[in-house]
Amino acid sequence: MAPPLPPMKILIVEDEAKTREYLRQGLAEAGFIVDLAGRGLDGHHLAMTETYDLIILDVMLPDIDGWRILKALREAGNKVPVLFLTARDTVNDRVKGLELGADDYLVKPFAFAELLARVRSLLRRGASTGIETTLTVADLELDLMRRRVTRAGRRIQLTAKEFALLELLIRHRDEVLPRSMIASQVWDMNFDSDTNVIDVAIRRLRAKIDDAFDRKLIQTVRGMGYMLDATGEG
Amino acid sequence: MSRPLSLAARLTLFFGIAAAVVFPVFGWVIIESMENHFEEGDTDELKIIADAVEGALSAIGSSAELALIEPRFDDILVGHHSASLLISDTNGNTLYASSRTPDLTGAIRGMSMETTRESVGRWSDSHHSYQVLLRRLPSKLANELGASTIAVAVPIDHHMQFIASFRRTLWLMTATSIAVMSLMGWIAVRQGHAPLRDIVARMRRISANEMSSGVAPDSVPRELSDLALSFNDMLQRVEEAFQRLSHFNADIAHELRTPVTNLMTQTQVALSRARTIDEYREVLYSNMEEYERMAKMVGDMLFLAQADSGTCIADVGPVDLTKEMRTLCDYYEGWADERGVALDVHGDAAIEVEGDRLMLQRALGNVLANAIRHTPAGGSVRIVLTAHNGEVSVNVENTGEPIPPEHLPKLFDRFYRADPSRQRRGEGAGLGLAIAKSIIDAHGGTIAVTSNEARTAFEIVLPKTATTAPSMEDEPARATSTRQSITGE
Repeated sequence: MAPPLPPMKILIVEDEAKTREYLRQGLAEAGFIVDLAGRGLDGHHLAMTETYDLIILDVMLPDIDGWRILKALREAGNKVPVLFLTARDTVNDRVKGLELGADDYLVKPFAFAELLARVRSLLRRGASTGIETTLTVADLELDLMRRRVTRAGRRIQLTAKEFALLELLIRHRDEVLPRSMIASQVWDMNFDSDTNVIDVAIRRLRAKIDDAFDRKLIQTVRGMGYMLDATGEG
Repeated sequence: MSRPLSLAARLTLFFGIAAAVVFPVFGWVIIESMENHFEEGDTDELKIIADAVEGALSAIGSSAELALIEPRFDDILVGHHSASLLISDTNGNTLYASSRTPDLTGAIRGMSMETTRESVGRWSDSHHSYQVLLRRLPSKLANELGASTIAVAVPIDHHMQFIASFRRTLWLMTATSIAVMSLMGWIAVRQGHAPLRDIVARMRRISANEMSSGVAPDSVPRELSDLALSFNDMLQRVEEAFQRLSHFNADIAHELRTPVTNLMTQTQVALSRARTIDEYREVLYSNMEEYERMAKMVGDMLFLAQADSGTCIADVGPVDLTKEMRTLCDYYEGWADERGVALDVHGDAAIEVEGDRLMLQRALGNVLANAIRHTPAGGSVRIVLTAHNGEVSVNVENTGEPIPPEHLPKLFDRFYRADPSRQRRGEGAGLGLAIAKSIIDAHGGTIAVTSNEARTAFEIVLPKTATTAPSMEDEPARATSTRQSITGE
């Protein structure tokens, strides 16, 4: 799925200049329009006056903290999705943020691919909720109702987890999926396991859907994760 | 709440109160008995005189003869120092009074003799005090002589003075005794506490570098040997924690130094001359792998810090461990399969505990991953879940080489690796089991490991309920019990 048109607008409220700049660059290159605020009050002002599709909010800000901005926005009836960034991986932060109406959170340090994946899934949320029965990428077809996979007309047998993994990759086609996200979405595993479990699973999936074909759909993005290449340019 | 009185003040006070009660009672008894003694002596003397006078009177027939026997009265009085005699008639008129006799008429009037023949009392005029005996003469004598009463008196000033001075001395002694006893109490306390102060001084001398020295229990009085033992125990626990912490710091530095060195060297080499885009990209990828390693380590260490402070349990609810274990096996299955390791779960239908699902998933996942990683190809990992008596036990055992016993107690230490060469094989920083232990500790459970030729087994025991974060007080007790369960087998 290419970045939708018209391009989505994202506000980044982050006091760390370097972080702010690389977030801007990364998101802009991913096809988003990005506004920046380095101070909480500026961020609050922009959020109240402009219309955004998503706000990325740092919790620790020098003037007013992210919680107060989030609270003020929600009290003003602004329902824009908010993803907050926290340096303190404390449970209290997590709970507090979600209670105040944040939609998702990331703990610093985070991988950019992870941020991008979260941003996309937040933006997709509430968008097309139409019930799909089949997913198609190139000559690969997933029948979601009958749990059937065919490639170039050939039936492929997948286990339930392999099917779920493939479905995840197709739903996020052309997006890099970090291993942690795959573990979380497919197996409900929410911790880093110091193992190459995901690599093994991908390798097995590839053996079934890619090995017999010239065009390789599943791409390894080094240092970031895996991507299902729908455009055939990779 | 105010601070309780010091031990020295307390004991001093008790000694003082005891002395202040005992000594005055003692003194009062002495003075009473002395006064009685004097009084009885005087009374006896007075009676002897009165008897003699009465005898002399009964020898004469009329009052006219009274003057004749007056010298006899003097004789009677001689030898009874300063005794006086007065004989009065029924109307109270004086028939005879010895020389230097005080005016005893006042005494006669003052002392009631309505019913008794004789009475003894104390009487004072303006100068002296007397012991006085009044005796009513038999009616025969009274009729013949017209004399009705004889009064005999001896001065008792010297007795009174003696007693008064004795009383003064006694009070002085009592006061001194109270002071001395209090002082003795205080000294006794000071002396008695000398071993305590000695221990305090020894404790104070113990520095971080020589904690193991402690206080020898047989070098202190018996009453304090328990204190010394507890102190040594505590010291040992502190020392272990301290050692672990300082090793931990060294380990962190070491673990971070390797990736940082790699990053610096690689980048320097890359920058030392112009390279192609692909070569630069290669360096960046390589750098990223190191960054990821560091980020993960930092994340794990932060997690451990939280777990130590007991704040890692956020979301407490029922967790079905059998289901979690099956999900975990499902997750690890492909990986285990590639390594030629079979997974096998035995469990009762549903084994539930109260806890934080994500945390328990992480703990069990780390233990399981560790077991799979250390199982040789062709081996198997067997997981058995059982519930009994309000506790749930999860047993994860794998086949393979036994772990040498000296490594067992340290397996849960941070950054500990039984096999040092494993370090850089991309299998994590050696925090997996430490994290598992922290989570299980925070749930009030225990984790222990045993190893023999046949298998290595990790046993996790969790309480079914009561998953509150640990308070600081429980911490040492639990740490000890975990250690014992490791070394005890």
